[in-house]
Amino acid sequence: MRIAPDYSKEFEKIAEAYEKSGGKADNLLDKRIASIIISGDKVIGLNNVEGVEIEAGKQDLGVWAKIRILKGKKIAMPIHLCTGFLGKEGEQRINFEFIIEDGASVDFISHCSFPWSTKLTHKMIAIVKIGKNASMTYADAHFHSEEGGVTVISETHAIVDEKGRYSNTFELTRTRVGKLVVKMDVDLKEGAVANLESKVRGRSNDEISIKESLGLNGKNAHGIAKSTIVATDQTHARIINEAFGNAPYSKGHIECTEVTKGNQVDVATLPVLKVTNDLSELTHEASIGRINSKQLATLVAKGMSEEEATEFIIKGMLS
Amino acid sequence: MLELKDIHLEIDGKVILKKLNMKFEIGKRYAILGNNGTGKSTVANMIMGMEDYKPQSGKIYLDGVDITDLDMSKRAQMGITIAFQENVRFDGIRVLEYLTLGGKIKKPLDEIKSALKLVGLRDEYLKRYVDGSLSGGERKRIELASIYMLDPKYVILDEPDSGIDMMSIETINKFIDALIQRNIAVITITHREEIAINSDYAYLLCAGIVLKEGDPVEISKYYKSMCDVCEHPNEIHLVKESETI
Ligand SMILES: Nc1ncnc2c1ncn2[C@@H]1O[C@H](COP(=O)(O)OP(=O)(O)OP(=O)(O)O)[C@@H](O)[C@H]1O
Ligand SMILES: [Mg+2]
Repeated sequence: MRIAPDYSKEFEKIAEAYEKSGGKADNLLDKRIASIIISGDKVIGLNNVEGVEIEAGKQDLGVWAKIRILKGKKIAMPIHLCTGFLGKEGEQRINFEFIIEDGASVDFISHCSFPWSTKLTHKMIAIVKIGKNASMTYADAHFHSEEGGVTVISETHAIVDEKGRYSNTFELTRTRVGKLVVKMDVDLKEGAVANLESKVRGRSNDEISIKESLGLNGKNAHGIAKSTIVATDQTHARIINEAFGNAPYSKGHIECTEVTKGNQVDVATLPVLKVTNDLSELTHEASIGRINSKQLATLVAKGMSEEEATEFIIKGMLS
Repeated sequence: MLELKDIHLEIDGKVILKKLNMKFEIGKRYAILGNNGTGKSTVANMIMGMEDYKPQSGKIYLDGVDITDLDMSKRAQMGITIAFQENVRFDGIRVLEYLTLGGKIKKPLDEIKSALKLVGLRDEYLKRYVDGSLSGGERKRIELASIYMLDPKYVILDEPDSGIDMMSIETINKFIDALIQRNIAVITITHREEIAINSDYAYLLCAGIVLKEGDPVEISKYYKSMCDVCEHPNEIHLVKESETI
């Protein structure tokens, strides 16, 4: 991809932010990899490859992008989405539309990185349409500033057509969260499969709100919605996982694990299961509490300190 | 030497161990036998310093130092470790990370691989996760390998044979031999005669007391002939002093 000369300085900063969040900036310049690079309200880089059509433009306080994967195309290299904000304060609104046509398959790697922002609101709304027998995975990793002044509101509404497959993972584990609101819902048609997963680590007075919702609306639709939260200090977390079994032989599983450390956390989880078709099967698992004492004992007996063991276990859970 | 002296231990007001005395020397193999619920794991957990397993009276000495009030972490630092009877799973942690405790144990890869080989697992297991995807027997073997990675003086193996097929009793015996060669004391809790008879000394627990101790072959024989068929309830208050000695 070519970066316009007037954006080259900006690209350098965005690339730096991207690397902080775990991305490899080289990939953003690789012509074989489709990508889009967003800084604030500007698209500073865009690369299409065969089978991928990305269109993007400016909108009020942000950027819109429409990403289409053409019928039957299997995109070999993951598409990279890089979203950054270089200013200290402000607001960024991103609207994404993903259209994965019938039989197409694609993976996305998304990094949202705001390491220098002390007061930023980032709002992202994504509409996802996955066609018949199509497949999409979307892995979103966030990296925020350590001041805790970042607010992220991320909403994804997905429809997965017959026998389509969808996986969406959200991860915010390496930095302070600030304030986070994640909503993911998915409408699964006949034989469609979805896997929604969030992993978040809260520190200081971080606020976390997550709602994952599975609509099992087609015969044989399968879905899993999973959240793993580590809450320390004064973290406030509210997690809702829902599954609606509306079609015969549909199966849904929701799972929420909240590990707490310290006595000032305020965490809650609410599983919601609703069946309108008696041939649908829904299950849920939920746990809130300190790290499993047997896990701790196993490691402490091997010579780890309790602190080391706790960190080791948490790192595993969030990996 | 690790010594348990006149241990009396209750949990929730229920007597679990009573007048218990045991001694373990480095470089030697010990077996602890006994029926279900006789207190074998309680002895193990108490030696390790698990919460809830503090004796109400009696002392634990390590080389003459009273460690009764030391926590688990201190005892581990002093060279005591355990492979618990039930092995917990760890999501997202690979065998390699588990064996090296996230890099805390610095040993060459060859040594890590030989720890796996010792418990009958191939190198490919290094990439596996120590989570629900391992079978019970595989998890048990990983636990034994992780013990081998440490440099302890006293190792407690609480039923290393449970979940591992009969064919692999040999693996467990070899594993224990390897620890003994490193001059470690190995205290094995087991129901298997084939493991017990290879030890230097055996203890037989019955309802929270040491019923018999000494030659492992004799103790195993006694255990097999008497305890296997015993309907002796393992409720300590029902055991009369005269019956137990
Ligand atoms: N944490 C605990 N809370 C309550 N009771 C306990 C606890 N740990 C052990 N016990 C009780 O102490 C007794 C001895 O248990 P222990 O686990 O030591 O037996 P064991 O000899 O290891 O048996 P097994 O062969 O089945 O492993 C049992 O009655 C058990 O229920
Ligand atoms: Mg036991």
